[in-house]
Amino acid sequence: MSAALLQILLNGAASGGVYALVALGYTLIFSVLGVINFAQGALFSLGGYLTFLLMGGRIGVNGALPGWHLPVALPFWMALLLAAIGAGVVALLVERVAFAPLRRRGADPLLSLITSLGAGVVLVNLLQILMGAEGYAFPAGAAALEGLPEALLIGGARIRTVQVVLLLISAGAVAALTVWLERSRTGQAMRAVAEDPTAARLMGIHSGAIVRLAFLLSGMLAGLGGGLIGLSVSLAGPYFGISFGLKGLAVLVLGGLGSVPGAIAGGLLMGLAEALIPSAASGWRDALAFAVLFAVLVLRPSGLLGRRLQEKV
Amino acid sequence: MNTIALLELDQLQVHYGSVQALAGVSLRVNRGEFVCLLGSNGAGKSTTLRAISRLVPATGGEIRWRGGDLAKVPAHRTLRLGIGHCPEGRRLLNRQTVAFNLELGAYLRRDRLGISSDLDRCYALFPRLAERRRQQAGSLSGGEQQMVAIARALMGRPELLMLDEPSLGLAPKLVAEVMGVLEALHKQGQTILLVEQNAQAALEIADRGYVLEAGRLQLEGSAKDLLGDEQLRAAYLGQ
Repeated sequence: MSAALLQILLNGAASGGVYALVALGYTLIFSVLGVINFAQGALFSLGGYLTFLLMGGRIGVNGALPGWHLPVALPFWMALLLAAIGAGVVALLVERVAFAPLRRRGADPLLSLITSLGAGVVLVNLLQILMGAEGYAFPAGAAALEGLPEALLIGGARIRTVQVVLLLISAGAVAALTVWLERSRTGQAMRAVAEDPTAARLMGIHSGAIVRLAFLLSGMLAGLGGGLIGLSVSLAGPYFGISFGLKGLAVLVLGGLGSVPGAIAGGLLMGLAEALIPSAASGWRDALAFAVLFAVLVLRPSGLLGRRLQEKV
Repeated sequence: MNTIALLELDQLQVHYGSVQALAGVSLRVNRGEFVCLLGSNGAGKSTTLRAISRLVPATGGEIRWRGGDLAKVPAHRTLRLGIGHCPEGRRLLNRQTVAFNLELGAYLRRDRLGISSDLDRCYALFPRLAERRRQQAGSLSGGEQQMVAIARALMGRPELLMLDEPSLGLAPKLVAEVMGVLEALHKQGQTILLVEQNAQAALEIADRGYVLEAGRLQLEGSAKDLLGDEQLRAAYLGQ
């Protein structure tokens, strides 16, 4: 295999991994509630900013407290983990204000598309008030990945270390989550709630708690993605997560709504498709990504690994 | 001798919005008893079970379980208290295997050995399920699905087993098979509350029965008396 091709594959897999994270976040909530959480992109932004702040990053001149920073400067790993937890907790809050009241009143689940979008807009704007609209780069790249070289030579291909870290962490998170869903007792409960909440309750499963768990986990996935992209690219303003949120949505549809393997496969396919576009023509990346989505949907309307849409009689 | 009933409904009322589904239903199930609740479509039979399982809130009256009020208990706690509900329409997880469905019935239990011996007991009770344990529940025939639903409820080791129309849509031969299993369970000491439209089949195996009509109790008595009741025969047994 030529070095150039290997490079493309690894880069594609790295960004594909992040897309898979975002898409899995959507999948978790979609499978238990049958709705899309449109605040997912904002949680992605939040994860990036929280990681930045926890690493000791300073708020810029347009922020609410110019020059302020947390009295800590955690290593990237720890900051990323805490930021993911933080985003997960905020996702619980989003569930509280944007989803739970509608469910209690038995409202049309579609309405939560609007309420969650609203929650996302509020979140992003809070970030903007606090941090300003400017972009941020993570504190000195060296501090982020202490002791690791800037780039690695793998099979003759030169790969940025950050990309490898991105791929390993997202692959690890995706694998852990998949195994957990498949094997654990709580994972079984989640599958039961996804298929029939009433039956699940009759088996003694607290479906409300399972729904909250799904939000916590999906917020953590989004937060993780935001922190990783912040490290590898930078934070391009509070709205940077929204475009990843949209891309994740495309991946979700590409892979098949509600399918965990679909979200992973879709993320990788999307990442690889984008990596094929040389950086000189990077403006075409989104175009290609959505062209791939279009083509797949024409051939397989339920997505790559989605269940055939059929009504049971 | 007046012992505390295992389950006692006292003037239970349920409303769906402004529509009254149950207008004060009182009944009791003693430990070890086999009680059936009969009535036509829409009489409120399923609603009664759903109220006991706390899937719908009671709007009046009381549900007492072992003498205690169930009003504040959430639905996911009722099985823990000993109330098993094999619901209307079976509600199996159709995309999961038969084995997964049965294991889910034992979700609250931690006794691995007990669970696996109960699984064997279920497969002995319904040998057909043993052959199909790795199949998706949704791919089974209606009768087999009903067996999975009953077995799943049994896996929770409920003190009271409530069944909602297990004979619905089954061929006569299968109805007899299902009723035979219920009769056998009762003989082993299982307390059962059976909701049925098939009054004849239910009364033949039950100890006592209640007849519900438009949200009110019309008749109650021993199964033997009800089987001989002219009014009931005319209304439900088509004779």
